[in-house]
Parts: sequence; structure tokens; C-alpha cells
Amino acid sequence: MANELRFLVVDDFSTMRRIVRNLLKESGYADADEAEDGVVALHKLRNSTFHFVVSDINMPNMNGFQLLAEIKKDEKLKHLPVLMVTAEARKEDIVMAAQQGAAGYIVKPFTKATLEDKVNLILTKLGLK
Amino acid sequence: MESNTSATTAALGTPTDVHQSIGLLTRQLHDALNGLGMTDKVKCLAGEIPDAKSRLSYIARVTGEAAEKVLNRVDQAKAQQDHIAAETRRIGALIVKDPVAAVAKGHVMNFITDVEESTKQVDQHLTEIMMAQDFHDLTGQVIAKVVTLAANIEEQLVQLLIQTAPHEPVAKPVAPATMASLPHQPLLAGPAINPKGNPDVVSGQSEVDDLLASLGF
Repeated sequence: MANELRFLVVDDFSTMRRIVRNLLKESGYADADEAEDGVVALHKLRNSTFHFVVSDINMPNMNGFQLLAEIKKDEKLKHLPVLMVTAEARKEDIVMAAQQGAAGYIVKPFTKATLEDKVNLILTKLGLK
Repeated sequence: MESNTSATTAALGTPTDVHQSIGLLTRQLHDALNGLGMTDKVKCLAGEIPDAKSRLSYIARVTGEAAEKVLNRVDQAKAQQDHIAAETRRIGALIVKDPVAAVAKGHVMNFITDVEESTKQVDQHLTEIMMAQDFHDLTGQVIAKVVTLAANIEEQLVQLLIQTAPHEPVAKPVAPATMASLPHQPLLAGPAINPKGNPDVVSGQSEVDDLLASLGF
């Protein structure tokens, strides 16, 4: 089941999208798509099927917090786990993400093991692994 | 050089006159800024300059660390590759000499185990090289903030020029760069430049995990 899951990686930096996608692939999650900001992500989420969102916070047009809020108020999307992967290291941002319903929070720079652990933990909690 | 200095001094008067002139100019600038209500903005921008300096230092540090990491990993991966290449030549020679003995004495099996281990390690090096590229994202955010600061200073200086320009008709000034015209204006704090001693930011993933755990997440 786990390797059939479809991920959406949202980050305005193409380098980071590529890194996260490669790491997911190495961890057994090869099916992933990308979006460069919250607007594009939301469009893709509403028009295709995804099981997991990995999102940056600081992005133009629609940031990660706004995307998270949109996902959580959308009946069809609110069940989606959203893992924040961000350089935002302020405690208030971490608390806000948790309160808004983020499934996890990773601060950049991170390691392959951290991403793998968080994704697996979230999937296990949701019974998807 | 001496004649230039003498000429300048002669034009401005005695050193006391020069000192008084500078003092007068400083006073006029101070009064002008006060009158224009710009002292706070100037103070604010001046206060951001040390922050910009530490941000630029952060970029230099992060890019330097990334380059160092990549070069170290490449060195290690190359050593691993050299080892495998040498072992391949050695096992090849053993097989050519006596294929049965090469298998029977375990040379071939040892080689296979060695290759498997080495490729695993090379793969780890490649992953670390890939991870080192995250500096692009981190420094990109910091650069965007420094660009914003430079644009703000430029905007304030242009504003100052406009407000202090002589009343004679002059060429229309070029519109200053506005926040909206900049390509990307991150409103969030971005990477923690100096997390040590700052209680408002976390310095690593373990602190994030502790914070979330303390909140029951």
C-alpha cells in the first residue's frame, strides 16, 4: 500500500523539490508530483488524487500556512496529511502549523533519515503503512 | 598632493571653518530628516544593515559548508571507486589464471560482497551530495531578504532626493522599486541565521520534536 501512495511536493525552489522527490523515491515512495506554490498545489490537489503533501512554508502567491488552511477547510482534502518542510525556525511558526493541523514539521536543513522517519510515522499513525 | 590639500583648504577656509562647515551640513541633514519625518525610517534601515551583514556571512558559511561537504563526499566516493576498480582487475586475473580455484577459495564471493558494500557506501555519498544542494533554497531566501533591504534603502534615498530637490523643473525621477515590483517578497522569518541564544527560534529538528511533543502533538 505504502509504495502506491501519491505525494505532492510543494516548494518554490526547484532544487528542494528535486531533493525531496529523490529522497521519497529512495524511501520507496516513487510516485510524486511537484508544485511551486500553494496556488498550483491547491489546483493539483483538487484535480487529481494525492495521499500525502510535503510543503514548504515561505512561498510566493500562497504560502504553506495558507495552503494548509485551504486544505483543512476543504471537505475533500482535509483528511490529507501535510508535512511542513521549511526553513522557518521560529517556535511560533511551529506551534501555528501544529494548531492548523499539520501532520509534522521538519526544519531545514534536514537529513534523509529525518524525512523518512516523519513520513513513515505519519503514515503509520494514519494506518497507511 | 600637498598643493591639492592646500588649494582645498584655501577654498574652504581654515581647518576651523571646515569643521564648522561639516557641523553645519550635519545639522542641516539632521533637521531636514527630522522635518521630513524620515529619521525613524533612516534609523530603522540603518539598524537592519548589521542584520544584512550577518545574513551575507550566513550565505558565505552555508555555501562554503556545502562545497566542503560535496568535495569530501566526492573524495570518499572516488576512493571507493578506485578500490572496486583495483579489486575487479585482481579478481579478473585470478579467474583467468584458475577459475575453479577463484570460486572455490572464495575470492569471487568475497569480491561480490565487497562490491555490494562499496556500492551501498557510494550511494550514501551520492545522497549526501544531493542533500548538500539544499543550500540553494536556504541562501536563496536570505538573499531575497537582503535584496529587499537594499530596495528599501534605495526607495528611501530616492524619496529623500525627491523631497529635497530644488524647485526648478528637473527631469522626472525614475519611480523607485516598490515592494510589489520585487520578484519574491518573503514575509516570514526565513532560515535562523543566529539561532544560538535566541529563545524564539529552534536550532535543529530535535528542538522542533521536543516543542511539538510538549504541545501534545
